[in-house]
Amino acid sequence: MTFDLALRLTEILLALAFLQQCSEHILWSGETRWLFVPRAVLSCVLLTGLYSPWVLLALSLHSVLVLHRFNGPYNGGSDRMGLLVLYCLCLSQLLPAGLPGEAAFGYLGMQVILSYFISGWVKIVNPEWRSGRALRDVFSFSAYPVSEDLRGFARRPLLLWAMSWAVMGFELVFPLALLHPATLYLALGVAAGFHLANACLFGLNRFVWFWIASYPSILWLQGRLIDSF
Amino acid sequence: MLKAVSLVLPVLIPSWRFFKAIEPSPRVEWRVLALDAPAGTEGGAWVAYQPRPNSVSLAQMIRRLFWNPVWNDALFVVSCAERIALGVAPMSHSINEIQRRILRDIKRSGPDVSGEMLQFRLVFVYFENAGLVQDVVFVSDPFSVGAPP
Repeated sequence: MTFDLALRLTEILLALAFLQQCSEHILWSGETRWLFVPRAVLSCVLLTGLYSPWVLLALSLHSVLVLHRFNGPYNGGSDRMGLLVLYCLCLSQLLPAGLPGEAAFGYLGMQVILSYFISGWVKIVNPEWRSGRALRDVFSFSAYPVSEDLRGFARRPLLLWAMSWAVMGFELVFPLALLHPATLYLALGVAAGFHLANACLFGLNRFVWFWIASYPSILWLQGRLIDSF
Repeated sequence: MLKAVSLVLPVLIPSWRFFKAIEPSPRVEWRVLALDAPAGTEGGAWVAYQPRPNSVSLAQMIRRLFWNPVWNDALFVVSCAERIALGVAPMSHSINEIQRRILRDIKRSGPDVSGEMLQFRLVFVYFENAGLVQDVVFVSDPFSVGAPP
């Protein structure tokens, strides 16, 4: 994947993810409606590809207002990933062409890899994750299951143990997917399925769209690294 | 400026420690305060705020991929509750955010409590020994239904 194509794909995917987020604030939440109108308008402009560097800069500056309004991210990790994609895109467009711009975009790709690997590492060093108890706690009392009947999973220890190891195993081996384009596509497909499952079970829908928006950066980074070697 | 840097820096250098450990989980409860009641009985029963439905169909789950404002708002309330419990400054921000949402939802579809005073509390649930334990970690000051906080 060429650098320009990866940037453009990321812009489009990020704009769509922002529009999904903005629609919820503008059409439903009421009091923060006007805070998200500028982001929605700028996202529409970003979709067209016109004046991208300046649109990305405006979105980045506006994001500080949103962070101020909620005293941090509104939706934790998903908002953080959305803004990381935005800031890296912005830097890669505004920095001089060549290595500086590529470094900013490559940083995004590296962070996406770390987002899986570190998540896997902090779980596997925790005995409660290795025994399946952590996932039991997620289902039994955490705020995440979208319905009460999903809490029934807490009574299926063998399944939770298997799910825990599947998640930890996938997250830890994710960096190895960079060894070949086919394995990377496969890993990204599995990762998207993982986010989709989290969206269904735990209502984390924004993770799906913001992580998918970051995937072109890994696809480009892999090609760039292979070319380097 | 310093505040902006403190908000942006964790975005640029994320920690990615999702679900590192499963901490006690907050529930928000609210009640009407009957201020003219005898001392000790002034509070009504605590009501769960934003209770989860018993079940969600697969079609609903798929629809929520694209339209999930209620749930995302509930997740923000969880964040606010955790910030209050951890003492993240400014506490008043998180308290006001929860109060605003309780008032908003009551006005949208709740009981008629106009002119009353309300209160919310945070109950943290966790697993200990053989069962679930609930600890009340925060009780808000009374706030008025009539005027926004």
